[in-house]
Amino acid sequence: MINEKIGFWGYPDPNVVENIKQEYPNAEWVDLDIDFGYSDKSILPESYCKIIKNIINNSLEIRPVKIIAPIGKDKCDSGWFAAQVLRDKGLDVIETKYEQLTDRKELVISTSNLPLYDKVNTIMNNIIEPKKYDLPQVKAKFGFWGVPPNDLELLRLFPDETHVYGWTRCVEAGVPADIELEMFVEEDVPTVFYAQAFCSKAQLAKYLADKYNGLYVDIDDYANNSIKAKIEAFLRLR
Amino acid sequence: MIYLDAGTTYSKIIATTVGVNDILNTSEDVENLRKNYGKFFIKSDGGKDYYILPSTILKTDNFTKNFEIKKCCGHMGIADENEIIALANGSKNIIDKDATILDLGSRDAKWIRFKDGKFHDMDWNTSCASSTGATVEMLLKFYNVSREELSFNEEKFAVTCGIFGLEKIMDDISNGAKPVEAISKFVHGIAYNAWNFAKKPEKIYLSGGFCENKCFVDSLRYYCEVVLLGRFMLCEGLVNSDKEGELFNA
Repeated sequence: MINEKIGFWGYPDPNVVENIKQEYPNAEWVDLDIDFGYSDKSILPESYCKIIKNIINNSLEIRPVKIIAPIGKDKCDSGWFAAQVLRDKGLDVIETKYEQLTDRKELVISTSNLPLYDKVNTIMNNIIEPKKYDLPQVKAKFGFWGVPPNDLELLRLFPDETHVYGWTRCVEAGVPADIELEMFVEEDVPTVFYAQAFCSKAQLAKYLADKYNGLYVDIDDYANNSIKAKIEAFLRLR
Repeated sequence: MIYLDAGTTYSKIIATTVGVNDILNTSEDVENLRKNYGKFFIKSDGGKDYYILPSTILKTDNFTKNFEIKKCCGHMGIADENEIIALANGSKNIIDKDATILDLGSRDAKWIRFKDGKFHDMDWNTSCASSTGATVEMLLKFYNVSREELSFNEEKFAVTCGIFGLEKIMDDISNGAKPVEAISKFVHGIAYNAWNFAKKPEKIYLSGGFCENKCFVDSLRYYCEVVLLGRFMLCEGLVNSDKEGELFNA
């Protein structure tokens, strides 16, 4: 069946992904974290993490045949709650936890010369269909710490010599629950610490921004001109 | 040449009557500004004319099309410069090597910190205008109180959320307080917030419209030393960067 869709969020256990691929070899995989612009289903409160809203709205709109739902330290408590809501709404949800901390993969994309927008997209697209990359490496002028923002266009503000840190870096390393790696930044690299508004990772982002004299930014859905200007000022002044 | 800081409520304009190379350059634009906007003229100093006018006039008069704007920042104009950068460029030559400059306007608050003369830190509350100048102006109009009547009150309202702050004002007044007292407590809350937002420095260089609000300045002085920079700091930054390029050292 060509039209079958498998939904997932975060970084599901690769073994579970492999099993589902064998079960549904022709299915299209949909990253439910992404904002596809579907209408709000009014399940969640108005003020809530936009990524989790995307997960709920996308799932109820697309109604995938299966949803692979990370619910452990590799995602967040809200992911676990979302899994319960979607199951209660009649969807077939497979919960996964991928919390192993060993076998960190070598970083190639996060530290490459790709534009930041392409770095983050390449890392996320590599979750379901992993490919090997051989990319020129660059010394970091700036850092971007955090999860892929709902507003990916935000990433175009940064120069190509921006390294990726935080959870996105953990995803490239294949260890999405590795808190030590998630909290790692280079002290001498001016870094923007990004969190989705109403996300518990804002706690880490604010703490690390203060610790390393970086810039803390949280955005609800899409960055307004003022937030873009704030990031632009930081990049120019540092 | 005309430099424009097009703030949400008020626009600050500097018209230079002397060119960057000290060549007398009273352009047609500068003359027209004097002729048509004389009632908004503030002062003339060092070859520069200073104006403050309501930003709505920019739109109704098609100001940015009628005048050649050399540089512009702010929400209400066609900005070609970043406000934080303008603040940095405006203040760099008149502050200590270690200094925090806070610009508090009608819509947002931003601060920048220099350490050993170099940029060190900054922030910009970009999205919530509920506890800034526009709110205070609306409160003054609503309760028919003048800004000069406000005075420092040791009591303050928590105004992290301006809407909750407004509720405190209403409660206070319904409990018998005079509007002027309640608004003064609200202003004290804004000052406390601003000081916290700027990471509690011992000294603040204050820029923006709140320089002219004595109640706010006295409230801020309850927490730190305050040096007033006035309302033209961003505009001066536009002039400075035009003359000398970016002045800060990263």
